[in-house]
Amino acid sequence: MKSIALLVASLVAFASPNLRAAETIPPKPAGYFNDYAGVVSKEAALRFNEQLAQFERETSNQVVVAVFRKMESASSVEDYSQRVAQAWGVGKKEISKGNGVVMLVFVDDRKISIQTGYGLEGALPDAIAFDIRTQHINPHFHSGDYEGGLAEGIDLICKAIRGEYKGDGKTNQERSSRKGGGGNILFLVIFVAIILLSMRSSRRRRGYGYSSLGGPFIGGWSGGSGGGWSSGGSSGGGFSGFSGGGGSFGGGGSSGSW
Amino acid sequence: MKKFGIGCGAVVIILIVILVIAGFAIGGSYNRIVKLDQNVNEKWAQVQNVYQRRADLIPNLVSTVSGAANFEKSTLIAVTQARASVGQVKLDPNKAPTDAAQLQQFQQAQGQLSNALSRLLVVSEQYPELKANQNFLSLQAQLEGTENRISVERGNFNEAVKEYNTVVRSFPTVFFAGMLGFSPRPFFNAQPDADKAPKVNFDFNQAPASPAPATTP
Repeated sequence: MKSIALLVASLVAFASPNLRAAETIPPKPAGYFNDYAGVVSKEAALRFNEQLAQFERETSNQVVVAVFRKMESASSVEDYSQRVAQAWGVGKKEISKGNGVVMLVFVDDRKISIQTGYGLEGALPDAIAFDIRTQHINPHFHSGDYEGGLAEGIDLICKAIRGEYKGDGKTNQERSSRKGGGGNILFLVIFVAIILLSMRSSRRRRGYGYSSLGGPFIGGWSGGSGGGWSSGGSSGGGFSGFSGGGGSFGGGGSSGSW
Repeated sequence: MKKFGIGCGAVVIILIVILVIAGFAIGGSYNRIVKLDQNVNEKWAQVQNVYQRRADLIPNLVSTVSGAANFEKSTLIAVTQARASVGQVKLDPNKAPTDAAQLQQFQQAQGQLSNALSRLLVVSEQYPELKANQNFLSLQAQLEGTENRISVERGNFNEAVKEYNTVVRSFPTVFFAGMLGFSPRPFFNAQPDADKAPKVNFDFNQAPASPAPATTP
C-alpha cells in the first residue's frame, strides 16, 4: 500500500504543475468509513461502514468518512478536501450535481473538513456543519476520543440530510454489480439451451451418455458465472464497498482545527 | 479540356465534395465552440451566485458586530463602503465578460470587500463577547464557507475559459471564430498581495485607531 502511495505521489508530482507539486490526492476509498490512521477499533469501523452503507440504501445520499494521519498538501484543509471529495466523486451526479458529504480527519495535523455536495447544501448548510464540527466533534477529539467524536459526527450529519432524497434500497455498488449478475444468468440460460438442443438433435440412442458429458460442463460454467456474480457484489463477511456516483462539490461545509 | 484526362464536370464535382467536407468540419467546430461558450457563461453565472451570497451576508454581519460594545467603527464603515462599491460594478450575470478591463474592475471591487471582511474578522478576535455570540459564530462559518465556494467557482470558471480559449485560438478555427463573434475571454487572475494577511493596528489606548493601509490590488 505504501509503495503504491509513493508511486502515485511521484507520478502526481511529475505530472502536475508546480503549484500542486507537493500534493497527493488519496485514491478512492474502498468503503464508506476508512480509518487509515488506526484510531478506532475494528468493530467500530465496521459498524460505521455498515451504518453509512445502509444510509445510502435508504436515502441515496453517499456519506464518506476518511481518517488520515497527515494531510498530503501544502494548501489549506478546505481547499485540499474539496479537491479530494471532487476526485472521489462522492454522491450521484444526477441528483442536483451530487448528493454526497465527505468528512476528512487529519489526526497529526489536528484538522477536520466536512465537504457538502451541491445537492445537499440546503440540508446541511455551512452553519450546521460548523455546529456539528465545533460543538459535537471537537470536544470528543480534544480528549482523544476519536471513536466518540466520529460516531456523533456521523449520526448528526445523517440526521441533517435524511429526508432530502429517497433511496431505492441499494448502494451504488450493489446496483452496478446486480447488472453483471443478471447478465451472467442470461449467459447461463442460453448456454444450457444450446447444450439441450444439441443433445436432442443428435444420437438420441446415446442420450444418457451425452448428459453425463454435458453435466460437468454445465456444472463448471454455472460455478464460474455464479462465482463471478457473487464477487461483483459485496464480498462475504458483511463489508459494504463504496462506489462513487460522480457527484461534485462546490466548497460548502465547514473546516478547521481542533 | 479533354487533354487533362478528367472533364470539367469531374473537377466541379470534386470541388463541391471538398466544400461539403469543409462545411461539415466548420459546422462541427462551430457547434463545439458554441457548447464551450455556453459552458463559460454557465460557470460565470455560478461565480456571480457565490459572490452575491457573500454580499447578502454582509448586512447581518455588520448589525451583529456593531452590537458589540465599542467595536472599532472604521472597520465596520470600510466593510459597508466596500459592499456598496461592489453593488455598483454591475456585470451581466448571464454572459461572461469579454472585456478584460471590465473583469479587472469587478475583481478589484470584490477584492476590496474581501480585504475589508478579513480585517473585520481579525479585529473581532479581540472581542470575547463576539466570540461567544452564536449568531456571530454562525455568520463567520457561513462567510468562510462562502469564501471557499468563491474560490472553487472561480477555479471552475477559469477552467471553462481555458478550454474555450484553447479551441478559439487553435488552427484552423482561429480564422473564422473572430468573424462569427467568438473571441478569447479573460480569466480571473490572482490578486497581487492576496497571500499577505492584512496588517491591523491593535493599539486600543489611542482614540479610534486609524484603519490599516488597504492592500487593494
